[in-house]
Amino acid sequence: MIVRRAHQASLQDDARNTPDPELIARLATGELDALGALYDRYQVPLRRFIARSSGNDADVDDLLHATFLAAVVSAARYDGRASCRPWLIGIAVQLLRRRRQTFGRFLAVLSALRGTTQSSRDPGPQLQARTDVSRALAGLSEAKRMTLLMAEVEGMSCSEIAAVLEVPIGTVWTRLHAARRELREALCGADE
Amino acid sequence: MKKAACPRSFEAEALRDGRLAGAERVSFQRHLDSCPRCAREVATFQAIGDRLCDSGAEADADELHVRRERTRLLAAFDAKLAPPERTPAARTWLGAVAAASLLLLGFCVYFRAPRVAAPRTESAVVVDADGAASWSRQSEGGVEKILLERGALSIRVDHTPGQRRLLVVLPDGELEDIGTRFTVSAEAARTTRVSVESGSVVLRIRGQAPLALRAGESWNSSQRAAVSTCPSCESAGVALATSARLTPPTAAPASPLASTRSPPAAAVPSSDRAASPAASAAVHEPDPALDFRAAIAALDRGDNIAAAGRLSSFLSLHPRDARCEDAAYLRVIALQRAGDPGGMKEAAAQYLRQFPNGFRRAEVAALAR
Repeated sequence: MIVRRAHQASLQDDARNTPDPELIARLATGELDALGALYDRYQVPLRRFIARSSGNDADVDDLLHATFLAAVVSAARYDGRASCRPWLIGIAVQLLRRRRQTFGRFLAVLSALRGTTQSSRDPGPQLQARTDVSRALAGLSEAKRMTLLMAEVEGMSCSEIAAVLEVPIGTVWTRLHAARRELREALCGADE
Repeated sequence: MKKAACPRSFEAEALRDGRLAGAERVSFQRHLDSCPRCAREVATFQAIGDRLCDSGAEADADELHVRRERTRLLAAFDAKLAPPERTPAARTWLGAVAAASLLLLGFCVYFRAPRVAAPRTESAVVVDADGAASWSRQSEGGVEKILLERGALSIRVDHTPGQRRLLVVLPDGELEDIGTRFTVSAEAARTTRVSVESGSVVLRIRGQAPLALRAGESWNSSQRAAVSTCPSCESAGVALATSARLTPPTAAPASPLASTRSPPAAAVPSSDRAASPAASAAVHEPDPALDFRAAIAALDRGDNIAAAGRLSSFLSLHPRDARCEDAAYLRVIALQRAGDPGGMKEAAAQYLRQFPNGFRRAEVAALAR
């Protein structure tokens, strides 16, 4: 038993010190420790990104969960970059977009049934925002919000963001400009 | 009064987005030293970025929650890799379903087995004896024997696949059932009468050639030197005579058989009978499949002499049947097995004449030599 525990501990230490590409490669072969290490390493930034992007605390755990499981499925196709954080963010963005589309279709069906017009924005983020930055972020559209967060918080380049969002790089610049302007108005206007 | 905007202020955002490179970047950075407005623009973007970076901490989960979520994730990952372990409730359900299936299967087997797997000779052979009949019944291996000492028995046999062979042992011979219904009588240690209502039988009286009786035919003791009137019986008699060295039935006197449904066979000239098997077939309605099956059954049980006779009968009764080549070949084999080399060579020669390009020509030619 002691030997087994020591072995597990050494495996966990190995996993903690393993570079991202190797960790993803081990994940692709189905190693449980690799997934645990990946979770330990990136669950905080991913959770923050998802929370700020979706603005809905109730969905964060499930989306985080789904992101890591999707990473397992896509691990074999990992491009080998030194940090897998942008890659994980990209997976989370895809899931968020999918969820938004599903939510949008659901709203469309509901509004069709009720005979009302559908709201273009989910009011949830604004209601749940706890700080002024959160409120300002919640005021942006999801596309602008995610673009801004990827650029400012995750430090992703515009070309990386364009690849993740599957949009032209010009669209990324436009969204960033609009997002900064709106955020600045919301924050600096209140400050000044 | 509002300060005039610097015409290069848009480059502050371009610098942040990484759109400025090389000389443009160096130029704008030099410009920042001299333009407080652009420098403030850059600082504002930096401040927004910093506030965004600092803003997410409220979403952080406590350690216990993180551990719980981690365990949930690893469990989900494990479940994806391996099939989920069955819960006790699921095991109980599976066990119940398996037990119910076994019970149902057993029920089906119990009620179906007697009808399908093991046909009973007792129920397949029905014997009606007259009041004075003295008879007994016994089974020996694959043969069901009815021993008749005296009296008359009316026997009905329901032939089904896998059924045992039925033999009526007579005081002076034996009678083998091929068909379905017949009556046999014996008195004073002699067989006195055989009458076939449906199907056919082979009567073997000691010292006499085997006699095939078909539906509607009868035989009585006053016609002991019997031969069959039908071509099949003639051919069977010839074959049997060849193989068993019995008296050829063609040399026998007038027909001992009298059909109860057709005109007396003696009324038809023998040459006509030989020349027109179709007419005889019309009267007796021979079934080639039944004849062939009976011959094969005889061969299978090792009764090679009877098999040779039946195959010969088949060949003469159904000369155009697709199984004729098989029958001719099997007749050769039956005679070989019966230890009759002369008959075998003759049958082989007949095969080669009939089927010069036969499928088994080489083998039969070797046997004919």
